[in-house]
Amino acid sequence: MIELSVNGETRQVDVEPDMPLLWVLRDELGITGPKYGCGVAQCGACTVHVDGMAVRACQARIGDLAGAEVLTIEGLGAGTLHAVQQAWIDHQVPQCGYCQTGQIMQAAALLDMNPAPTDEDINKTMAGNLCRCGTYVRIREAIHAAAAKMAEN
Amino acid sequence: MKPANLAPFLVAPLLVLLALPLAAADIAAPPAPEPGSVSEAEGLDAWARIEAVVSHPRCANCHTGPDNLPMWSIVGEDKTRPHGMNIHAGESRIGAETLACQTCHVTSTAPNDVAHAPPHAGIEWQLAPVEMQWFDKTGPEICAQLKDPERNGGRDGDGLVEHLIHDAEKDGFVPWGFAPGGGREKAPGTFDEHVRDVQLWVAAGQPCPQ
Repeated sequence: MIELSVNGETRQVDVEPDMPLLWVLRDELGITGPKYGCGVAQCGACTVHVDGMAVRACQARIGDLAGAEVLTIEGLGAGTLHAVQQAWIDHQVPQCGYCQTGQIMQAAALLDMNPAPTDEDINKTMAGNLCRCGTYVRIREAIHAAAAKMAEN
Repeated sequence: MKPANLAPFLVAPLLVLLALPLAAADIAAPPAPEPGSVSEAEGLDAWARIEAVVSHPRCANCHTGPDNLPMWSIVGEDKTRPHGMNIHAGESRIGAETLACQTCHVTSTAPNDVAHAPPHAGIEWQLAPVEMQWFDKTGPEICAQLKDPERNGGRDGDGLVEHLIHDAEKDGFVPWGFAPGGGREKAPGTFDEHVRDVQLWVAAGQPCPQ
């Protein structure tokens, strides 16, 4: 039995230790915000936060995560919308939407580290999150907007 | 970016290292040859084998220069190229300024058995300190660097051997380079042979080729 925190709740899972966190979230805990894209950390669709850092959930083995604090898109706003989520709505970022939860989690992690990112910072940070609809321009605009909103508070 | 914002990530690897349990694996260096018992010629032979390891892309790809760009060697390709996905490790050398190496290269002692997936190790994925640049450096340049405490982390010869053993105890990058898994090309030789070669080179007085 492995115990960890997911979106602020203590959860216990009885699974093989090499099961990827993404499988645990989606198949064991029914948390389906993180998406399966490539399975080898090349697309970013499964991005969640582990102990405050953006992590590709397809690569993190549950056996390495005992006691970890995991945050998914479902818990990001803690009951309301995170500034990044609101900016995503304001700028109508998604098209098909499949990659967007990963994009938002990566963007939120970026703003935790760097509250006023430049275009270059955003490009470097978000380059590992692929969007086949090509919403990159709106993603960048929304991150700037979220940064400005967060700076007001 | 405010430098203070990086602080948690810059100190995190050290804190994690300190928090790790002591050696999970029973790894020990073989008895070292007595200083002076190895001739300079034998030491240079040992260095040639060491050079083949440290200049191999499996090792040099993460010992890159002040551009802070990790390099990639793709299975099936002969030429090394910059890491895909516009990856920059930054001056932190762990990607703290933008995308942390650990976002994809998670810290784990699990086997690296998946081709094309980002490899991992038991310590935090990172570039070596820029003072330890090997990529694009010649053998004599690397040799001079490895024996220079100003650039090798303040280590004497025995300290270099201890560094290898300590890294192996953590399932670190050095033993991984000789068994990278997933179909990746390995560094020449074995970890044990590399440790022995460093011992021979040290006992010979760390000779470097001209």
